Amino acid sequence: MLRRKGKLQSLAGYLEIPQDIVMDLPRITMLGNKQLLVENHNGIIEYTPSLVRIKLNCGELFIMGEMLILGNLQAEQILVEGVVREVKYDI
Amino acid sequence: MIFNTNYLRGTVKIRVSGTMPERFINLCVTEEIPLWGITKTDEDLIAWIRLQDFFRIRPLVICSHTKVKVLSRRGLPFIMKRLKQRKMLMVGSCIFFALLYILSSYIWFIEITGLKTIPEQEIRQIAEQYGLRTGNIKNAINVKKIEREIPLHISEVAWVGINFTGTRAVIEVVEKTMPKQEEKLPAHIVAAKDGVITEIIALNGQAMVKIGQTVKKGDTLIKGITPQPAAGVDGQLPKTITPVELVRAKGITTARVWYEGYAEIERKQTTSKQTGSYKMTINMKIGDKELAFNRPQGQPFAEFETVTIYKQLPLWRNSELAVESTITIYREINSQHMEKTFEEAYNEAYAKAIQVVQVTIPETAKILSRNYEVLKTPEENIVRVKVNVETIEDIGQTINISQ
Repeated sequence: MLRRKGKLQSLAGYLEIPQDIVMDLPRITMLGNKQLLVENHNGIIEYTPSLVRIKLNCGELFIMGEMLILGNLQAEQILVEGVVREVKYDI
Repeated sequence: MIFNTNYLRGTVKIRVSGTMPERFINLCVTEEIPLWGITKTDEDLIAWIRLQDFFRIRPLVICSHTKVKVLSRRGLPFIMKRLKQRKMLMVGSCIFFALLYILSSYIWFIEITGLKTIPEQEIRQIAEQYGLRTGNIKNAINVKKIEREIPLHISEVAWVGINFTGTRAVIEVVEKTMPKQEEKLPAHIVAAKDGVITEIIALNGQAMVKIGQTVKKGDTLIKGITPQPAAGVDGQLPKTITPVELVRAKGITTARVWYEGYAEIERKQTTSKQTGSYKMTINMKIGDKELAFNRPQGQPFAEFETVTIYKQLPLWRNSELAVESTITIYREINSQHMEKTFEEAYNEAYAKAIQVVQVTIPETAKILSRNYEVLKTPEENIVRVKVNVETIEDIGQTINISQ
């Protein structure tokens, strides 16, 4: 399994295909500390104004901050707005 | 915002309460129901959802063991619903637009422009006769026909144009310029001014003066009688004497005319200018009491002018509401003593004198020369300038012979 992933990654690099598509990884885009866009997620685990936990293929994403709002919630993407203090992976 | 599809289809703000509101969110995500503006207050989630999705979330709510409550509604469907409850408002607005349309298709005002000599009533009458009157429907009026008929009825009219601007009809009229009627009454040509004759040609009538002769105002230049043949060389009268008949004299009568202008300018002058700063005092009189606002202490400025404005309420139903107010404005002025040089004063006086003369000279006159002289006076303070202008102009004036 690991060997296969490594091969895929090198193939993607060789063909110049974005790796997030090939390997089904989440793409996280941050705009300063005001907005955070998570694409390719698996749903929300917990949501409070100071903590957002998002489930990913490969674990869990913690977003700590203040006055966090889920600006836009769709099947492919989550837009977190507010003051982001910390982003943490938990695999 | 208004053309936003979300606005057109309606959105609902919901409150999701329960033990696990996140579960509800995840269910929405898997069902591809978009949510936005999600915030959390006291364990309750508040989110925006589309109206069409709101009817789909019922199974999800049951599945996630939560309760959903609508907080607010926004969008066109809700506005429409409210309007449906107020039918008369809709009917009223429909009536309003219908009335606006109907009333705007009538003529309410008729305006006639471009008239100089023809009385307006005459044109208005003809226009009315052919249907252009206040209160008629615009489309029913045959504009072409009226445009054609008015010049046929009134011969002084050259062209008529009718156009509508809103509820106003504008009749534009262009009048014919009739040729001037030449008078045929017998007349003399007399001098209108004093001068020395430089040219006299009698086209009709008998010339009474010669070139170089000095004439005074009122002298007859060309007499309005049939030309008499000049006396023969030997002093004898010609044999055939035509009977004397009165005619209208015609001819060219040019003469040299002098004009004189005079002006004086004081070299020392005091000019006062307003500085722009002012103070205002308002005096109010209510009944017998007087109230003063902003009254200045002592003299407001070193030098000033005062303007007083008096105001009173208009009399209303003979009630004597005795409220009056007087506003006094003190404007500061700054006076300056100026002494002009002789050159400056002279130039100014000269320009003034020329201006005085210029008014009396007719436009057709040809100016031959301009002379000026400075009058000597014992006073140094005043500069006096005299201007003489010599012109050649037609001094003839036709005056009918009174029978």
